[in-house]
Amino acid sequence: MDLQAVLAKNPNAAYRIYDGKATVVLPDQAEVDVLNEVGSAVWDRIDGARTLAQILDSVVEEFEVDRDHALSDMLEFVAVLREHRMVR
Amino acid sequence: MPSLSQRGAAFDPEGSLPPSRLDFHPGDDYFTHPGEPFGEAALGLAIGPLGMRLEGLSGSQAAALRERFRPFVTDLPAAYVTIALRNAGVEGFLRLASAGGGPEVYRLESRASGRRLVLWSYEFAGWLDAGAGKALLALARPEGPLFDRGLENFLRVLTASFILEQGGFLLHASGVVRRGKAYVFFGPSGSGKTTVTHFSPGDTVLSDDLTLIVKRGEGTYEAAGIPFGLAHHRTPETSGSFPIASLNRLVQSPVVRREPLGRARALGEIAASLPFVMQETRQAARAIEIVGRALDGIPAHRLHFRKDDAFWGVVEEA
Repeated sequence: MDLQAVLAKNPNAAYRIYDGKATVVLPDQAEVDVLNEVGSAVWDRIDGARTLAQILDSVVEEFEVDRDHALSDMLEFVAVLREHRMVR
Repeated sequence: MPSLSQRGAAFDPEGSLPPSRLDFHPGDDYFTHPGEPFGEAALGLAIGPLGMRLEGLSGSQAAALRERFRPFVTDLPAAYVTIALRNAGVEGFLRLASAGGGPEVYRLESRASGRRLVLWSYEFAGWLDAGAGKALLALARPEGPLFDRGLENFLRVLTASFILEQGGFLLHASGVVRRGKAYVFFGPSGSGKTTVTHFSPGDTVLSDDLTLIVKRGEGTYEAAGIPFGLAHHRTPETSGSFPIASLNRLVQSPVVRREPLGRARALGEIAASLPFVMQETRQAARAIEIVGRALDGIPAHRLHFRKDDAFWGVVEEA
């Protein structure tokens, strides 16, 4: 996946973040998902403006994790988000 | 990433309308000239903080409903919502998918029309307007199981929508009152909601299916039953509401224990157990906002229980 890609949340998704974890509801798919803290940080930053590279940099800085490891996790996570049609 | 999905329950078509190949999806024009009222009788209901006034009933309908909803029947004060009942003037709306008579998932269609939420199923069609406190319900039958089911299904959806306006929510849960406190047990079908009520002799059962979570003040919530349990669920023994001790997500297990649910996890679990209000984005967003606030004041747990009354020892510990 191109790190210069810009993703946007599915406009039909309703979500709230409590204690750093996002609960995401997709009404048209009758699905509720709870994201872990890093996943929630990625989700929160997906705004239709930031590139994946910018989101990666921000997450690496906030969670002080290895960049290569974070990249692998983020790409896997974003693939799941796309599969669930949570992002476009 | 765990996924919690709401799924429809299998629908027993017994007593349903005759199979047909064509659904009738009522447009706005159908509701412009609704059918005639069944009669001139009215009935008042108090469901937690919701006052309902059912109008357009025949005398026999009103008498039957007065008996069936007895603990919730009230005089007719200024109602929060007025529901006008009408004869649908058609045989039905949605039809059974197959003529084979096998079970199918109960179908309930909905769409937004301005401020209104329009609903229709096999034996009813109607709309509700939470802002105006008004609703209209057209029923295909004047009496019998199809009248009862259409009315109660519509009122369940109406209750779920209108309670959000009051800062509360309707939960797919059983509710049991023990020593003045309400314990709420929730989870998908088959998780044990009805089972826990069977192991609560001497306690007051609010519901074994749908429990109303009522906001009484800032950070203060109570649980109440609703009388629209259809034929296969218990009618609540009381219309009262009771302070909530805890919300418990049921998980069947040989070892009885409970663990606190983090707020995000609790919100996810509860959101997956909110009937009727998660199909539309704005309403879903409002619902999870309200549940999130409620979780500030109500402890939530995952309750591992087996089919005996040992869970009470764990639940009442706190």
